[in-house]
Amino acid sequence: MDPIVRVLEVVPYSILRPPRLRLKLPSFSLPSAMTVYSLILLTYFMVVSGIVYDVIVEPPGIGSTQDRATGAVKPVVFMSGRVNGQYIIEGLSSGFMFVLGGIGIVLMDLALDKNRAKSVKVSFASAGICFVVIGYVMSMLFIRIKIPGYLR
Amino acid sequence: MVAKTDKPTGVGKPDLTPQTTTTLSSILSLRTFKLKTKQQELLIRVSILCLVYILAFITRLFSVLRYESMIHEFDPYFNYRTTLYLTEKGFYEFWNWFDSESWYPLGRIIGGTLYPGLMVTAALIYWVLRFLSFAVHIREVCVLTAPFFASNTTLVAYFFGKELWDSGAGLVAAALIAVCPGYISRSVAGSYDNEAVAIFALLTTFYLFVKAVKLGSLAWGLASAFGYFYMVSAWGGYVFIINLIPLYVLVLLITGRYSMRLYVAYNSMYILGMLLAMQIRFVGFQHVQSGEHMAAMGVFFLMQVFYFLDWVKHQLNDIKLFQAFLRITVTCAVGVGAVALGVGTASGYISPWTGRFYSLLDPTYAKDHIPIIASVSEHQPTAWSSFMFDFHILLFLFPAGLYFCFKRLSDATIFIVMYGLTSMYFAGVMVRLILVATPAVCLISAIAVSATVKNLTQLLRVKNRVASSGPGKGSTGTKASSKGLGDQSLPFQKNAATALLVGAFYLLSRYAIHCTWVTSEAYSSPSIVLAARGHNGQRVIFDDYREAYFWLRQNTPQDAKVMSWWDYGYQITAMGNRTVIVDNNTWNNTHIATVGRAMSSYEDEAYEIMRSLDVDYVLVVFGGVTGYSSDDINKFLWMVRIGGGVFPVIKEPDYLVNGEYRVDKGAAPKMLNCLMYKLSYYRFGELTTEYGKPPGYDRARGVEIGNKDIKLEHLEEAFTTSNWIVRIYKVKPPNNRKEINRKEGIQSIERDW
Repeated sequence: MDPIVRVLEVVPYSILRPPRLRLKLPSFSLPSAMTVYSLILLTYFMVVSGIVYDVIVEPPGIGSTQDRATGAVKPVVFMSGRVNGQYIIEGLSSGFMFVLGGIGIVLMDLALDKNRAKSVKVSFASAGICFVVIGYVMSMLFIRIKIPGYLR
Repeated sequence: MVAKTDKPTGVGKPDLTPQTTTTLSSILSLRTFKLKTKQQELLIRVSILCLVYILAFITRLFSVLRYESMIHEFDPYFNYRTTLYLTEKGFYEFWNWFDSESWYPLGRIIGGTLYPGLMVTAALIYWVLRFLSFAVHIREVCVLTAPFFASNTTLVAYFFGKELWDSGAGLVAAALIAVCPGYISRSVAGSYDNEAVAIFALLTTFYLFVKAVKLGSLAWGLASAFGYFYMVSAWGGYVFIINLIPLYVLVLLITGRYSMRLYVAYNSMYILGMLLAMQIRFVGFQHVQSGEHMAAMGVFFLMQVFYFLDWVKHQLNDIKLFQAFLRITVTCAVGVGAVALGVGTASGYISPWTGRFYSLLDPTYAKDHIPIIASVSEHQPTAWSSFMFDFHILLFLFPAGLYFCFKRLSDATIFIVMYGLTSMYFAGVMVRLILVATPAVCLISAIAVSATVKNLTQLLRVKNRVASSGPGKGSTGTKASSKGLGDQSLPFQKNAATALLVGAFYLLSRYAIHCTWVTSEAYSSPSIVLAARGHNGQRVIFDDYREAYFWLRQNTPQDAKVMSWWDYGYQITAMGNRTVIVDNNTWNNTHIATVGRAMSSYEDEAYEIMRSLDVDYVLVVFGGVTGYSSDDINKFLWMVRIGGGVFPVIKEPDYLVNGEYRVDKGAAPKMLNCLMYKLSYYRFGELTTEYGKPPGYDRARGVEIGNKDIKLEHLEEAFTTSNWIVRIYKVKPPNNRKEINRKEGIQSIERDW
């Protein structure tokens, strides 16, 4: 044996007591496709809600406007009239609606899986339809608030 | 949508190519109305594709019908000017063109600093038309190039969708991309820009590469290399391809999908694509030297390592020995690669990433370091409503489509997932990159639409099938069929499916309506001619830009130098035919900063700068009379920022009051007396713009201006357009030194003559 190793083995441990650790090299295994999908869904939510815009432009959470008549300051959620501008909250809520609509379509597909119980399938299907309807209606509402002259 | 059956085709002529079969079958259908199901399907498919092809073209013609056939925006004018040069002087003159009319006094080597793909394409179309004796003007060709290529893109999208999923998805993808506003925004008639052909080239390259990976054939790999060459010749966005494909290959390697097919496809595409790309002068040796292209090279070497390992594994039967060997080889390869990259970067052989590329990966970078990139409005990060505006229901369909892709993972779907995700991220960082994301979003959404509609139609059919032939027999092999049997069927299954189908078509039709509205309202304005709604609701046209440029062309000396902010440089050279100091090719930041400094200095300081640049005329754009908001006063802070980035004497806080940008009485004194303010508001104080408002009321900003009594010392007003949008000033020659002896001086000059 190497004398230095011998010294190293003896000297530090005469003073120190090594703690009992269970260290293991992290084993690398590929995550399942659906884990990756849910992560992707999360990033998709962040992108479409304009997180990058929020970070760079740093808009306020919600805006405010002064009432012409009374002079009172009231909060505004939507930055109306500007297509490429937003407040943080409106971005997040619309991004949520988009993802909700997407999940709705996925649930509708899951409802056709023949390996599931009937009740599960029914609830999947109805939830899916509801999600899509809510997502679509809400995002249309948002875009109408956002662009006052929409489709006119 | 597309009915699929298992029946063997008993058609008489099965060996015919699709085209001939179609024409034959269409004749047949006319004569007998009796077609085999497969033929019917083919007929429907081809006619849908034709309709989509035409639709993609005509939906982009709004601006031609509304205004006239003209080139839009800023960059297209440069492209038009170069195309004109190319058709007049020929390719070699074009390739060697040194343009002394821009970037005075530096000039610009055009041939070496542009992507010639677009111009060459348009010129080829022009020459072909001329050869066929169609007497078209080159301008019409340029105007219609973008819609034509958009139509071609729909075809590529069809084949791509067919490759990814099935022909139904391909059809839906073609239909979606034909009207998707994200793509229309850059490909309306008249927007003669690089992106117009580049998206076609991009999608073609990807399609051919996916095909090559699927088949492992050298021919498809080489074809994708040529597609890549076309892309490189057309647009700087080729960097996206040369990074996405290696990334895709890397993911395939990690997920254990390495195959000989992949090896053949990637190597042939990379090697040939690299050699071809280096033929473009603007790219040249960058393709092997710059940091953006290193990923492709690294993956290329990694492929060789993999191939070698595969061979060793084949030779070596001992698994344990191979494991050890694998570990050593991979470590060595990665180590050598890292060392090579380090040495290359340190020695300067490998150039670092450019600012544009870096700002994509780290969005905060441009904001802090490169104001000239951050100043462009289309480089802003994207808000949710831009996504909504450009994608509409595709935003719901995209995540669903990703789910279907994950459900049926293959080499092709992995590719489209990666393309979709990376491009969506880039679209989030920069508004203009929504364009790159659009094909991916359309393809993935098409998968969702196709899969959902297929599910629904199968629900509708399942009862009939049970009654007629029994379960499971008629199923086409797709996993989703034959599920609603017996007690497993959902309540009101048929009715619900019908209702949902109607709902799906409702959504799709809303999408079409949305797209048409957006195209008509937002994306079809030429921005060189402005339109506004008058108070009676009629359309008012402001044609001031062209008025000013033609004035320049007619009334100024041939060699006059015009100074303006860089936005208008291309238009002035193309339409006014005069030399400009800076233009939209922002290659020299210092030069632009000099102009920015002149604009933001006091008049006499600015005069020194203008004298040193030989400026004869100054052109400013002013929207105070018409309420046009993207004028120079609103862009002014960027001039200050860019000027201040190079010349620290210009400080942004000098122009702001408590961090607020104002032009009224409360504005900063430096602001009220800088050159840009003076030139914009000269004599504006005398003008009443709106009833009930004091004179000098700025309608673009909604305030009364702060400095109404503007005197110009070294400049004089030369021309102001009818709506005051463009104002041109002449720079006076320097005063004689002896004011008193002016008369004598003149006499002495006359005597000398």
